[in-house]
Amino acid sequence: MPRAKIWGFLSVLISASIFGVCIFSILIINYHDFTNFNSVNLSELNAMTFYSAAIPITIVTLFVLSTGFWIGWVILTIKVVPPMPEIVEKKDNSKIKAVLLCLITVSLMVLMIYGVYIRNFWALAIPALVISFVILGAIFWVGMAIITTRSTLITNKKQ
Amino acid sequence: MRVLLLGYRGNPYSGGQGIYIYNLSKELVKLGVTVDVMVGPPYPDPLEEWAEVYKIENLNIWSIKTKDIPYNKLTRIFSLWNFADYILTRLHIFPEMETFSFRAFFALEKILKHKRYDLIHDIQSLGWATIPMKGFGIPIITTVHHPLTKDREADLQRNWGLWDKTTTILFYPLVMQGFVIRRINRVITSFKEGIDELGKAFRVKKEKVSVVYNGMDVDLFQNTGEAREDNALLFVGNTEDTKKGLVYLFEAMTLLPEHVTLTIVDDGPPKKMTAWELIKKFNIEHRVKFTGKLSAKELVSIYSRKTILVMSSLFEGFGLPAVEAMSCKTPVVVTTAGSLKEVVTPDCGVLVEPQNPLALKDGIMKLLKNKKLREQMGKNGRKRAVENFSWSVAAKNTLEVYKRVIKEYRSKR
Repeated sequence: MPRAKIWGFLSVLISASIFGVCIFSILIINYHDFTNFNSVNLSELNAMTFYSAAIPITIVTLFVLSTGFWIGWVILTIKVVPPMPEIVEKKDNSKIKAVLLCLITVSLMVLMIYGVYIRNFWALAIPALVISFVILGAIFWVGMAIITTRSTLITNKKQ
Repeated sequence: MRVLLLGYRGNPYSGGQGIYIYNLSKELVKLGVTVDVMVGPPYPDPLEEWAEVYKIENLNIWSIKTKDIPYNKLTRIFSLWNFADYILTRLHIFPEMETFSFRAFFALEKILKHKRYDLIHDIQSLGWATIPMKGFGIPIITTVHHPLTKDREADLQRNWGLWDKTTTILFYPLVMQGFVIRRINRVITSFKEGIDELGKAFRVKKEKVSVVYNGMDVDLFQNTGEAREDNALLFVGNTEDTKKGLVYLFEAMTLLPEHVTLTIVDDGPPKKMTAWELIKKFNIEHRVKFTGKLSAKELVSIYSRKTILVMSSLFEGFGLPAVEAMSCKTPVVVTTAGSLKEVVTPDCGVLVEPQNPLALKDGIMKLLKNKKLREQMGKNGRKRAVENFSWSVAAKNTLEVYKRVIKEYRSKR
């Protein structure tokens, strides 16, 4: 088997396993008492330990949320050259959605900062989970593509 | 003088950046400059005859679905920058400039162990890692023909709904470019109004911007001597680009006599539908035809045969078709938008205000009615193209900017 295919299988296997373990530990083990997680007390952690995890997670989360806010803001404020006739005829409610996008992202940013300030478990856990799932999903998807795509290089059987 | 040119895409046959690197490097070498080129794919093979080429990896997987990515690229995704590229492209971000700059930074770090450059010339990538490159103690300049804000505005104008607009905003790395451009030593742009445009788009100080007109191949673009058609208008450009103002040209067509025809050098239906929908709307299908993409030789021939080139643009960063037509002794009717009023002088073409179909029609009629004027403008256009817009002139002017930047940089240290 070509080495690339082995990497493909490994990436699918590893990402699916980690994803499975996450789901299992969150939803299955604690299904009857999900509130177990609420009792996790991050205040007991050493400040250095807490911030070494909290700062990178917060930065990534705020970056993503501020990108969302910026998109909404640009849609709200940008002035474009006069539209073509066929565009005018269409109804576009994207400005209303952009206001909502700005409000939601600002609220989430405030919530995130407040959550980190009071050392709430979920303020770090939810973004960490989302970031991990995005990366795992990408690894899984590429692995699947490697496994299912046929190599365009035809091996010369005579050699 | 030893200069390093940086470009994230290097194909010399398509895309302005590759053509710019190919021709500028060739002419700079003739002026005695030693040129090295660091480029991303598609790579410029013939460059190696006169410049040392450092090839930077990039998978070019923007807008390709994962399952459609070629196998040889898929197997290379699991490396740091390729994986970053992959994730960012899936989030609708166009990351080539960012990742190119980081890859170039690390490649340059190795090269500088045994080589020195007097100047680094970035060709409109402006990636984040251009900033740490300043730490190498080499002045960095960039060429920006026009700020991408113009392209984003044009795209946003065509977008409908929140999702379309979101993906457009994510596509253009304007925050990065704005941050980087303000921190490099000098910016070259291709028209005087570009100085204000860069100020508006990125808050670049006027004194940091130099104007060097773009070059074109005046030896290739020469009148072929073929017979000129009568009442035949020509448009060359991307019909999907709303900055081209095609709607105003089509409206002008409805005001022109029935025997006036228009040939568009671009793909028509079914590949590109935007212009075709407008043509049907104005009921001029029988007077407009599309040629599809043409080779350079075919393009020279069509410039030489058609009566007038028309550009109805709402903005142009240079206006290459106008210069190519002028070089082929073809008179032009252009709007005064962007660089066009600098490129086309009243003795080689008719200038009209943008977004005004009536003015466009009047300009076209003025030339169609007067053969002598057309011939005179054609001759003047050729002279102007050779004197101002050849690659040798562009390289000479660029070299002057290099010398000034190096002098300023060394005097401050």
